[in-house]
Amino acid sequence: MEEIRIENLTKDFDGFLAVDDVSLSINSGELFSFLGPSGCGKTTLLRMIAGFEIPAKGKILIGNTDITDLPPYKRQVNTIFQNYSLFPHMTVFDNVAFGLRIRKTPKLQIIERVKEMLSLVKMEDQANKYPDQISGGQKQRIAIVRALINQPKVLLLDEPLAALDLKLRQHMLIELMNIHDAVGITFIYVTHDQGEAMSISDRVAVMNHGKIVQSGPPDDIYERPASIFSAYFIGETNLITGEVIGIEENYVQLKCPDGAGNSLELDSTFNFPPYLGQELTLSLRPEKIAISRSKPRYQDDINVLKGTIEDILYLGSHTQYIVRVGALKFRVFSQHKRVYFDDKALDWDEPVWLFWHDTDSWLINQIPENVLSFNELADGGVNHYQRSSKRPYQA
Amino acid sequence: MKRLNISRFYQGMNLTAFSLVMVFLYIPILILIIFSFNNAKIITGWRGFTLKYYFQLFENDTIKEAFRNTMVIAGLSTFISTVLGVLTALGMENKKFSGRKLMSALIYVPLVIPDILMGVSLALLFNFTRVNTGMFTVLIAHITFCISYTVIVIQSRLEGFNYSLVEAAMDLGARPAYIFWKIKFPLMLPGIIAAALLAFTLSIDDFIITFFTSGRGFDTLPIYVEGTIRRGTITTINSLSTLMIGFTLFLVVITKRLRKILISTI
Amino acid sequence: MRNGNYNQTLNAGAQKTQSRRNLMSWLLTAPALIWLILFFLVPYFIVVIYSFLTPDIYDVQFEFSLEAYRQALNLQYLSTFFQSFRLAALTTLLCILLGFPVAYYIARAKDKVKNTLLVFIIIPFWTNLIIRIFSWRIFLSYNGVLNDLLMRSGLINQPLEIMRTDLAVLLVMVYVYLPYMILPLYSVLEKLDFTLLHAAMDLGANEIKAFFRITLPLAAEGIFAGSLLVFIPALGAYLIPQLVGNQRSLYLGQVITYKIKNIPRNWPMASALSLTLLVFVAILLVALFALYKRSKKLRRV
Repeated sequence: MEEIRIENLTKDFDGFLAVDDVSLSINSGELFSFLGPSGCGKTTLLRMIAGFEIPAKGKILIGNTDITDLPPYKRQVNTIFQNYSLFPHMTVFDNVAFGLRIRKTPKLQIIERVKEMLSLVKMEDQANKYPDQISGGQKQRIAIVRALINQPKVLLLDEPLAALDLKLRQHMLIELMNIHDAVGITFIYVTHDQGEAMSISDRVAVMNHGKIVQSGPPDDIYERPASIFSAYFIGETNLITGEVIGIEENYVQLKCPDGAGNSLELDSTFNFPPYLGQELTLSLRPEKIAISRSKPRYQDDINVLKGTIEDILYLGSHTQYIVRVGALKFRVFSQHKRVYFDDKALDWDEPVWLFWHDTDSWLINQIPENVLSFNELADGGVNHYQRSSKRPYQA
Repeated sequence: MKRLNISRFYQGMNLTAFSLVMVFLYIPILILIIFSFNNAKIITGWRGFTLKYYFQLFENDTIKEAFRNTMVIAGLSTFISTVLGVLTALGMENKKFSGRKLMSALIYVPLVIPDILMGVSLALLFNFTRVNTGMFTVLIAHITFCISYTVIVIQSRLEGFNYSLVEAAMDLGARPAYIFWKIKFPLMLPGIIAAALLAFTLSIDDFIITFFTSGRGFDTLPIYVEGTIRRGTITTINSLSTLMIGFTLFLVVITKRLRKILISTI
Repeated sequence: MRNGNYNQTLNAGAQKTQSRRNLMSWLLTAPALIWLILFFLVPYFIVVIYSFLTPDIYDVQFEFSLEAYRQALNLQYLSTFFQSFRLAALTTLLCILLGFPVAYYIARAKDKVKNTLLVFIIIPFWTNLIIRIFSWRIFLSYNGVLNDLLMRSGLINQPLEIMRTDLAVLLVMVYVYLPYMILPLYSVLEKLDFTLLHAAMDLGANEIKAFFRITLPLAAEGIFAGSLLVFIPALGAYLIPQLVGNQRSLYLGQVITYKIKNIPRNWPMASALSLTLLVFVAILLVALFALYKRSKKLRRV
């Protein structure tokens, strides 16, 4: 059943398009995420659903009622703010009871309901404390039940975990999922952390420049990115442009310049009808590439490249190699549990073979705007994006 | 080794300066307090302990009258200037307010020109308009110089106000009026109290502006004290001053307590 | 072109809320605005008008005259101005010299002690001005405590005549205005990162060099604010010269007050002198702010 429908929603701030003609629908009981870099419009979209921003154009419907022009206090929608926004002059109890008091709920019922909500997050014994006397995780829980006590149809969460440290964040993520299961209402979750979005959501909408770039279940977006942006914003990837030079039944042959005057011939399965001479981008996740001193014995349906190790980063759960092939740099993840093909560990400047199955790459019907930016993407650009997505909790 | 010595010397110098300034600040006040218990008409040497000047104080109707005037003026001007301060600070919260610059100028300029000029200008205003000087004119003057302070103190409190609390309340179903009284006002309260206390102290402390705007027969304590000192009959002034210092200390303690209570409840 | 369509609808809505909020702001600020116009701005217009009128013994005559301004340029009044200016400047200078080490000491004290030390500075600041002046009269007067102590200890035979001198005026001025210098200095020095000093000393600067190269420039903002808070009120001081000074050398505040309070009154004269002071303060403020802005820009470059 459809809970929220957004039609052609648009919002600008002094001419800057924050949200650009967005349409989508979210199902009842779904945990739906908006994922994108800061400034992509996801928070503005959320604030329009909450009623804090008035759309320039478009409609928002909950069930079948148009709520586009309703003030926030008349919407059956509640929000969890990034900094929790607990009222500092009220106790935990009074914070949670706030919504009920406005609705003039009888006193006994308030006490009962607040107790019930506090027990949901195991904080019954903190009822008389003030917000500055409880921890960040506890504030988060109070913010959630303060919203849920109003029995909203939709709960909006605006980067709710951004202020917590890593361990607590992982813990709260699971707790959020449990709460979602327990109350069964629609959650709309906004984040720039792909890990959060991937692990918690039923569906994710990736946003960039005010538009939804791609939406769907997390694995779909990860395995089958529809655009270069989705491919490099979510997870890490190698991007190689190439020209279609042959079309077979199950795969296409691509001729990819290596930037040093030569070209590589790569095979890949395809998901849209290609034509000869078409220019495409190949997205290849680093963990799908095998790395070895020796050539693979079986080479059917396998791409094989020869390169040189330029950098080795030991990352605990896996090692990242940067391997140079021509002028291209490939990022390769190698897990340690794997039985090594070689006796000795790989070393800097060693010649190595890279290989992967044809079905492990993904074609994107899009090429970077120019070769230069492509080179940046393949090298520094990817690096840059990955770095910022790994350390997203800057002030 | 050498650096350590210099460093210690440097610190020692600052401590010495600090102690000297403390002596400088407190010696005259201490002497005044001690001599308020001195059994002598003029201040030459110690002639034994007495409380008689304190008793004289309570028998003196002029002083009682001046005290009452001071309190009435301070109370009223504090109340009115604080209310005006709250309204103005709320109005100026809107950064795009078209009268913001004008209002800021009117608030800040009185603070950077000598007090005496406000006294002179008000004296001439009341002369020009032929208003009888007295309690009414003094009250107007006190409100005028208190407004700037109350607005600035309340404004600085509002600046730290987290607007997302208003959004949160709205989100939970609260209407604007409810939000103001349940969220905004309670959080502004410490600032309002600080502003009121400041206005109150400024009002009871003021001499020069009151001097220019009060007529004959309307004395506040500072005016009475100054007149008495000039006429040279100072026997009761020592004890009166001691009581006023006591009142100041009381205010300082109260403010601290109040602040603590407010912080713990808000 | 694409944007034109919804920009119009948007701007209409946004402008409506914007103008409603603006109206609300006008309504909220209106009481204070009207008050300040009536009792702060209008009185200065009357001062301007009065400065061009003819004095009367008790009041003014509404006859145009430039006499007040002509007299204000007399040597007698110019020396009054100079006298007040010198007092304000000396007070400011002494307050900086005395206030700096004190503010520095408090700023570097432990957090727990800091507040107590500050309260010690603030108590005299909150104590009634007249009482503080009066306490100095007791201390300094001919048969006062200081002379009594000095005589008893045999240091002097004759009581010193400190009261009713310009020195006494300066002393009490410094006493009264010192907290106004210490507090802004403290708030700047408190924010000062003392690791900078250590860094400078590690780099080989000695204490004195580090002080002049680092502490002082960073504290300039506090000195600037404190100086404004001391110098400007000091220019118009009345009460301190009146109660501890003498009648031979009058300060500007006294002259203005006498012209208004004493009979024969000369309100045009008082107005002209007040306006001269006002213009002087205005020029000073504008010049100082220009200087301040420039120094800030220079520092940023």
